[in-house]
Amino acid sequence: MSEACKITVERRGDVAIFWTDGYINNQGGEEIARQAYTQLDSGARALVLDLGKTRIVNSIGISILIEVLEKVMDRKGTLAFCSLTPTIDKTFRIMGLAQYAAIYLTLEEAVKAAAPSGESAQQP
Amino acid sequence: MTSAPPAARLGEFWRALADPLRARREEPLPRRLVDTAAAWSGARRATLYMREKDAWVRAACSIEGEDGPDLPDPIPTAPISAGAVLWVPLESEGEVHGHLGLEGIAPDDTEELALSVGFLLGALIGAHRLSRLVKEAEFEVKTRLLELESLYDLGLSFGGQLDLASLGDEVLFRSISLTDAGKGTLVLFDQGGKLLFERSLGGDLLPADQFASWALPEGEAVINNAAASVPTAGERLSSCQKCLAVAISVLGRRLGVLAVADKESRDGRVLDFTPTDARLLSLFANQAAAAIETARLHREAIEKERIERELELAAAIQREILPHSLPEVPGLQLAAANFPTRQVGGDYYDFFPLSGGRLGFLVADVSGKGVPAALLVSTVHAAVHLQIDEAKTIVELFERIDRHLRRYAATRKFLTIFFGLIEPDSGVLRYVSAGHNPALLVSTSGGIERLDSTGVPVGMLPNASWREETRTMRPGELLAVYTDGLTEAVNEAEEEFGLERLERAVHKRRDLPVQQLCDEVLSKVADFARDMPQYDDQTLLLVRRT
Repeated sequence: MSEACKITVERRGDVAIFWTDGYINNQGGEEIARQAYTQLDSGARALVLDLGKTRIVNSIGISILIEVLEKVMDRKGTLAFCSLTPTIDKTFRIMGLAQYAAIYLTLEEAVKAAAPSGESAQQP
Repeated sequence: MTSAPPAARLGEFWRALADPLRARREEPLPRRLVDTAAAWSGARRATLYMREKDAWVRAACSIEGEDGPDLPDPIPTAPISAGAVLWVPLESEGEVHGHLGLEGIAPDDTEELALSVGFLLGALIGAHRLSRLVKEAEFEVKTRLLELESLYDLGLSFGGQLDLASLGDEVLFRSISLTDAGKGTLVLFDQGGKLLFERSLGGDLLPADQFASWALPEGEAVINNAAASVPTAGERLSSCQKCLAVAISVLGRRLGVLAVADKESRDGRVLDFTPTDARLLSLFANQAAAAIETARLHREAIEKERIERELELAAAIQREILPHSLPEVPGLQLAAANFPTRQVGGDYYDFFPLSGGRLGFLVADVSGKGVPAALLVSTVHAAVHLQIDEAKTIVELFERIDRHLRRYAATRKFLTIFFGLIEPDSGVLRYVSAGHNPALLVSTSGGIERLDSTGVPVGMLPNASWREETRTMRPGELLAVYTDGLTEAVNEAEEEFGLERLERAVHKRRDLPVQQLCDEVLSKVADFARDMPQYDDQTLLLVRRT
C-alpha cells in the first residue's frame, strides 16, 4: 500500500468506477470527493469505489465519504463499495455508510448492480 | 424581537423558502437562504453570518464572488440599520444562530421584514445547527463504538495471528486510523535488542535504532504536542509536528515502540493528541505486547518441535543401525546394551559373524552429541560394513575406515573404536583399540587385565597408525568393552562411577549369564547416578568364551 492515496477513475456509461490505493484520510478523502463530484457533474449516476488496495481509513476519510454519499443521494444516484478488507467493511457498517451505500465483495458484482441492464456499464 | 411578525408576511416568506429548501438540496443551506432572503425582500445584496464554534463567520453572500459587509462591532442583539445595511439577528429559543445583513431595502419596510426574516431564518438555522450537532454526536458515538469494536477485534485477531508482520501491520494501521493520525511507525526488537520488525506509514518518524532508546514509561502513552521543538528520544522531530508514542513491553522488557503523529482535522489543521488518544494507544500497545510475545513463544515452540522431530528421526535411523538381535555363535555368549543420553547418541556397537565361525565385534564412541554425532555413527557403520570383507587385517580395516571418514564424513570429527576378532575354537582374540577406554579381560579366577589403547582415535590425525594385539581367552573368560559414558557417569556429589567401580561390578558377578551381568552392571551405574542427568551415552558389550 502506498502512503498517499492514489485514485484511478474509469467511466463506463453512467457508472464511474474508482480504484483507491492507500490511506483514505483527509487528503485521500478530498481527492475522492473532488473526482466524484467531477463525475457527478458530467452525468454519472452511479459511483463504485473499489477499495481493494486500501487497508486504512480514518474518521476524517469516512466523514468525507459520507458527504459524497449525501451528495449522490441528493442527485438520486447510487454509491457502492467493493473489495473491502474485513476491517474496513466492519468500519463502514458501524459508521453508518452501509446504511445508504451498498457493499459488494467484488467489482463485477458492484458494477452489475449499478448498471443492471448491462448496457451502459460495458467497457468501451 | 419585541413583537410577532404579521402572519401574511411570514406566509409569503415561507412560500418563497419552500422551493429552495426542497429542490436545491445540493446547494449549501446558507447559500439558499441568502438567495431567497434577497429575492423576497428586494434587497440588493444579502449576507449571512453563522456561528462557527466561538466565532461568527461569513457563511454566504447572495452576490457570487462578493464578501458583503462586515458584521458591526458591537454585534447587534436586535435589528438595527447600520449605514445602508439592515442587520437582523436570527434567533430561536432565546439563542442567536446567525446574523443577516440586507442592503438596499425600502426604509419603511424594515420592521416587518426584520421580524419575518429573523423569525423564520432563526428557526431554520437553529434546526440546521441542531441537526448538525446531532449528526456530529452520532458520528462521535459511532467512532467510540468503532474504537471498542477495534479493541475487541484486535484481541480476537491477535489470538489467532502468529505471523509477526501481519500482526505488526494490524497494530500500526488500527492505531493510525483510530487516532486520525497522518503517519505512524511501529518497531519491534528481539530479546537481544536487534531490530525484528519495522513498518512506517507516511514516512519514518525516527531512525529505527533511536526508538530503542526512547525513554517511555511502561504501558502508558506519552503525548508530545510540540514535537518539532521538544526533543523526543534525544532529538527534535523534523518529520512531524505532534506525536504520541507508547512502549510495547512485557514484564518490564521492551519489545518495541508504537508511535503515531500529526492528528488530522477536516480543515487540514494538525490537532493536538488528547488523553483519549493516549488511552487508546496504550490499550493497543498492551494488547499488542501480549500478542507479540505469544507469537514469539510460538515461533520458539515450533523451532523446538522441529529440532525434536529431527532428533527423533535421527534416533530412529540410529536404532536401525544398532543390531536388532545378537548373533548366535557357537562357543560364545554375547550381550550388549546402549542407552543414549539424548534422543540421538554418539555410541555404536556391532557384531560381524565371519567365515570359519569367527566373530568380529566393535564398540565406538564418536566425539560430539546429537544429530552430527549420529550422522558420523551412520558413516562409520557404512564404512565398517563396506570394508570388513575387503580388509585382510584389523589394522587395514582401521586404515580403510579412516580414509572413508576423511573422504565422506560431513564434519571433521573423530571416534574411538575397539574392534575385536575372536576365534571361538581357539579363543584367540585379536584386537585394535583406537584411543578407546581400556577393555576389561576378566579371567575365571577373577583377575582383570586392562586392554589399553593401541593407537590414536580414528579421524584424529593424518597418517595415523594402529597396532594389533592378541590375547587368548580361555573358556569361561569374559571380555567387557564399554564407552566412557559408564565410567564417567556422575552422582549428586559430582563423583564419577569410575573404572574401579566398573571392574568391581563386573568382577563380583562375573559368573552370571552375560545378559544378566550386562543388566546388573548398567543397573549399578543407574543406582549410582540416581536422578542426576547424564551427558554421555552408555554402551556395554560382553563376550564370554564358553
